[in-house]
Amino acid sequence: MFLTTKIAEGVNLHIRQTTQFKTVNFSIKWRAPLTEEKAAERAVLSNVLHHSNGKYKKSAQFRSYLDDLFGTVLYFDASKRGNEHTVLLNIETVNDQYLAKNNVLNDVLDLLKTVVFEPNFENGQFVSSIVEREKEMIIQRIQSIFDDKTRYAQTRLTQIIRPNHPASISANGTIDTVKQVTPQSLTECYNSMINEDQVDIYVVGDIDVEEVQKKLIQVLQFKDRTPKKLEKQNQVSKPEQEYTKEQQDMKQGKLHIGLSTPVLFGDEDFPKMQIFNGVFGGYAHSKLFMNVRERESLAYYASSSYSSHYGLIYVVSGIEPAKEKKATDVIFEQLDAIKNGEISDLELNQTKAMLTNQLKEALDLARGQIDIYDQYKDLGETFSIDLWKERWANVTKEDVQEMASQIELEAIYFLSGKEA
Amino acid sequence: MKTIEFKQLDETLYYKKLSNGLDVYILPKKGFSKTFVTFTTKYGSIDRTFVPIGESEAITVPDGIAHFLEHKMFEKEDGDVFQQFSEAGASANAFTSFTRTAYLFSATDQIYKSTETLLNFVQEPYFTEETVNKEKGIIGQEITMYDDQPDWRLYFGAIENMYHTHPVKIDIAGTIESIDKITAEHLYTCYNTFYHPSNMLLFVVGAIDPTEMMAFIEENQNKKEFPEPTPIERHFEEEPVEVAVKERELKMDVQKPKVYVGLKAKDTNLSGEEMLKHELSVQIALECLFGRASDFYTEVYENGLIDESFAYDFSLEKGYGFALIGSDSTSPDELAQRIKEEINNAEQLLSQEAIERVKRKKIGYFLRALNSMEFIANQFTRYKFNDMNLFDAVPVIETITVDDVINAFKTIQGESQQTLFKILPTSEKEA
Repeated sequence: MFLTTKIAEGVNLHIRQTTQFKTVNFSIKWRAPLTEEKAAERAVLSNVLHHSNGKYKKSAQFRSYLDDLFGTVLYFDASKRGNEHTVLLNIETVNDQYLAKNNVLNDVLDLLKTVVFEPNFENGQFVSSIVEREKEMIIQRIQSIFDDKTRYAQTRLTQIIRPNHPASISANGTIDTVKQVTPQSLTECYNSMINEDQVDIYVVGDIDVEEVQKKLIQVLQFKDRTPKKLEKQNQVSKPEQEYTKEQQDMKQGKLHIGLSTPVLFGDEDFPKMQIFNGVFGGYAHSKLFMNVRERESLAYYASSSYSSHYGLIYVVSGIEPAKEKKATDVIFEQLDAIKNGEISDLELNQTKAMLTNQLKEALDLARGQIDIYDQYKDLGETFSIDLWKERWANVTKEDVQEMASQIELEAIYFLSGKEA
Repeated sequence: MKTIEFKQLDETLYYKKLSNGLDVYILPKKGFSKTFVTFTTKYGSIDRTFVPIGESEAITVPDGIAHFLEHKMFEKEDGDVFQQFSEAGASANAFTSFTRTAYLFSATDQIYKSTETLLNFVQEPYFTEETVNKEKGIIGQEITMYDDQPDWRLYFGAIENMYHTHPVKIDIAGTIESIDKITAEHLYTCYNTFYHPSNMLLFVVGAIDPTEMMAFIEENQNKKEFPEPTPIERHFEEEPVEVAVKERELKMDVQKPKVYVGLKAKDTNLSGEEMLKHELSVQIALECLFGRASDFYTEVYENGLIDESFAYDFSLEKGYGFALIGSDSTSPDELAQRIKEEINNAEQLLSQEAIERVKRKKIGYFLRALNSMEFIANQFTRYKFNDMNLFDAVPVIETITVDDVINAFKTIQGESQQTLFKILPTSEKEA
């Protein structure tokens, strides 16, 4: 799918030539081990790099220039996967052939060098006023989770079931760790990211592969590095409390349940767990939707998601607070039904069809091609839709039943209004 | 079947009006494996007072009914339609807006099967008192969910401030009390009035052969009987230009205040290219004044009046329109004051240079968006229902002048058209 070239030790360039899109997409992903301190620094760093650079020192100048490049989209972002933190640079620009002006692509490639290698330094480090403001922005981003009750409940649940663990560490760090960032520590963080991180560079679009490759190698002068070995996931113990209830001023009750599975992304049983999640709560044909919502009218949404890098399954539903017990019972009845082998051919086939469709649809987006390839390349096999389709096709009812039998309850978290 | 070519964009659109009045558009996309189909009726939450088909007196139905109807379309005598889509590996969904109800699916396989499912389920209503009552619990939780979302409350609070009578100020899903009044008979009345093929549009975009797909759709439609199309009579009360409420606030359990400045649009009776140009001109004005490259943005970002939630937007439909500008802010009044200053000084701030820059940005935005099947299908439908053409957007942007932008902005700028809505933390002490 992608043509991969090693441009330095630990730095890979992946290019895909296609006429599918009207734009050209670039992504650079910098990866390092995930800790709260690192996450905080790297979240601030991604905001600071997003704000300005050595050539465009004012954000407004920088954004005006991007507007002039026919609204080229450029942003930095912080995210995580498994026990790694990722700083991400995404650029999307319209293909020259649709524009009255030519060479926009060339300008964008030059800009890429500027935003990555020419930071807005004063006396050899990031500008203090910018660092302070972007720290404040990240703190506000962390605080805003409180206003979104679903996200808040989810954050609380992961903190309860996996404290001090990558599953609960936010890609933005914490308010305290963000406060500790200084221009100096941020500059060190930048240098370490540029010189020591694992780097993957992606390009998707209707481009001249050789030309873009040559130009990218010229503008992105990364040195050899041996990316840090990632620590093994911490051993986890069962949360102390199996049930937690908290209250805020709100009308709905947010029921969030954490379950665990020994099966992780890339394991032999991984496709079976994907099917399990589809039968259980991943789709509109799933047991949770059909029973919690359609049969019992308890909720507008009731679903499960499989966080495969952490071996966790999250069940979420928004319910009337007084019906908490009923909803919890109906949810566990669905898990028990699968444990008892109550899985119809229809449910199994629907899930297989949906998983295949989802993967194929994701590959219709440039960003989807990058993200899927990026995730699956670590499995050490050539990714193809057919390979996964076949793996899912081989999954039987008994397999799904077996997956269900390995699932354990971690904790239940319920957030509701004060009068409930 | 007609073909419309957009040479610069390298796209060809296929179109046919079927004998039952249904508009069908097909846009083949090379190199994609997905197909996205939307089946949309020009019927939304604002259509609450109308003359039912075959009758002569206007009636007013309970609030939230268009959305309720959307939910109930998925349930049939033999079960839930989602099941059929899932079986064919299709992701189905639906949404109701102020002016439209859309049913849609995307899939990479068995496209004809799912297209048939879509056409048939939307054209075969099945409502009983029992299934209607069962849905009230589900929608009740949907309403409650939105009630707890501060950003949604902020959005509706600002719209409520602006409108005296227009039903755009009523929440799309209605209230727990209003949906309780809905009966199966109401649903049939609304369905029969608004779901006639002549009031609907089918858009297919993706990996399909247009000739085959058009024939397939036509065959499906020819098998069904529909009454003769009659024009739909919707009633709206007179709506003054001035806002209804100048300023209002709501307390919620949030960590930081939120504020919107709302601008009520004066020109809401436009259509076609005139509307397209007007809408784009207002959007360009807002981007010049409040966009990330503006002096305003630099100032309020640097002095901490806004955060990453800062946003601005303009909506325009027949009968209503509004711009909203705002952010989470620790100083909501000061921010609102600064926004209003920019609005009042717009003529000085809308320079030729800024407008040309924003026009380029906007052209890039449309071209990027044409990668998205969802954008094309949804926006094409919305444009078409207002007699505009999505694919005209880029050429129209190119013709927009400084005067166009200033004149368009003047229609939303007036002091009496401005309103302020805030959400304040419950815990905050009174000053």
